Amino acid sequence: MPEIILQTRGLSKRFATGDPVLEDVDLDITAGEIFGLIGKSGAGKSTLARCVNFLERPSSGDVLFEGKPLSSLAPRDLYKARRSMGMIFQQFNLLMQRSVLGNVLFPMEIAHWKKSKAVARAKELLDLVKLSDKENAYPATLSGGQRQRVAIARAMALSPRVLLCDEATSALDPETTRGILALLRDINQRLGVTIIVITHEMLVIESICTRVAILDNSHVAEIGPVREVFTHPKTEAARALVQSDGRAERLLRLIESNGLTVEEVLSRVGIV
Amino acid sequence: MSGLYEMLIKGIKETLYMTLWSTALAYALGLPLGVILVATDRGGLRPMRGLNAALGIIINIARSIPFLILLIAVIPLTRAIVGRMVGSTATIVPLTLSAAPFIARLVESSLKEVDAGVVQAARSMGASPMQIICKVLLPEARPSLLLGAAIAITTILGYSAMAGIVGGGGLGDIAIRYGYYRYQRDTMLITVALLVLIVQAFQEVGARAAKRIDRRI
Ligand SMILES: Nc1ncnc2c1ncn2[C@@H]1O[C@H](COP(=O)(O)OP(=O)(O)OP(=O)(O)O)[C@@H](O)[C@H]1O
Ligand SMILES: [Mg+2]
Repeated sequence: MPEIILQTRGLSKRFATGDPVLEDVDLDITAGEIFGLIGKSGAGKSTLARCVNFLERPSSGDVLFEGKPLSSLAPRDLYKARRSMGMIFQQFNLLMQRSVLGNVLFPMEIAHWKKSKAVARAKELLDLVKLSDKENAYPATLSGGQRQRVAIARAMALSPRVLLCDEATSALDPETTRGILALLRDINQRLGVTIIVITHEMLVIESICTRVAILDNSHVAEIGPVREVFTHPKTEAARALVQSDGRAERLLRLIESNGLTVEEVLSRVGIV
Repeated sequence: MSGLYEMLIKGIKETLYMTLWSTALAYALGLPLGVILVATDRGGLRPMRGLNAALGIIINIARSIPFLILLIAVIPLTRAIVGRMVGSTATIVPLTLSAAPFIARLVESSLKEVDAGVVQAARSMGASPMQIICKVLLPEARPSLLLGAAIAITTILGYSAMAGIVGGGGLGDIAIRYGYYRYQRDTMLITVALLVLIVQAFQEVGARAAKRIDRRI
């Protein structure tokens, strides 16, 4: 019986300003999986991500992390629980006045690690994301892909069990995206970290996720294994997603994501 | 001539003495107030509507009192703290009180420039509000805070010159006594030129330092 590491139960969120953004969201995330969450812009994906670690308090419902309801935790215990859930963002959100090494050290300073132990761990992580040569650089001098690698190293510093990725590749070009996705897959497979990937791009889900949930109109419209949901969409929302992503465009991106060009593929199948 | 020279040197020393002490003390009051304004604001680290509104109003009132009136109004307080009501040391009290709320606003605006995403990232790592203030907001706002400090110090320097009216000492005192009361235009012009130079120097040094420590290229 696989462990359920993270659950949302009847999770709803309504901001003071308007309609509910999330309604009655029930998700069960299995330990070790790469779970995708897809939906149109404004569907409430980022809000859900922020509710999962209680950066945003749900209006009702709860989140269970390793079976513990987050709503029951005192602030100090909530801070501790958050350290078991790393998070990365579309805009990287690095500390601009700290070096690469300083950024990776940050969560360990927050957790009161001893300096020498923290530095050793930070160097190990920069090795993992292949940025050892940049430890003294400042984020402003790095490319988007490098910045996201720093953010991943930082999010992994306290050995979280879950990594939340909110549009982590949306600001990156296709090739850099591929590199980041490969890194995430590697982290999942080698370290057993459960990953939740939030995106509006089907290609991202197709390339690394095992299961996917479609968020539509503040509800979970459909949930299941990626292939099943994408090939046999049961709901209107899922169909719209699959169709709106034009087939030709998807084919092109699939080819690109495998490091090929259209000409190469055509010549391989003997058309040109 | 050597009398004038010595007098000017003494004036510069007094001006710097008043300005630097007042700035330091005003930051001791204004910096925490600025942090509280940001932390208790809507969407801040610890939103507290009542406290935030009350503090905002008090700061606005304090800032709208003309300095000359404050200078005279706080004389009893000055006497209680310093033991005297005239002189450079006595002037530090009203200077500090009038600059602190201004500095609170400068600090507030610097801290609000810090990217909300970075604060969110720190929260996601389990940072407490206090840790976010000390390890994210203040360090990330450092260049902007330094620019603010250059503005604060030059403004306080300008106000310190006004203290000459109540015998506060410093270059402003000299300018008023010789230039205004005794019609020695040359002395007054030299004194004003010195004030301009000092303001320029502080502004320039502050701006350069802010640029040098900023890591956003
Ligand atoms: N702090 C807030 N206050 C008020 N409304 C908010 C707040 N945060 C989000 N919303 C609203 O909630 C809805 C969902 O926003 P959210 O950012 O979760 O969408 P999203 O699915 O992440 O979209 P995108 O793909 O564009 O990132 C939007 O209509 C947004 O206006
Ligand atoms: Mg979003």
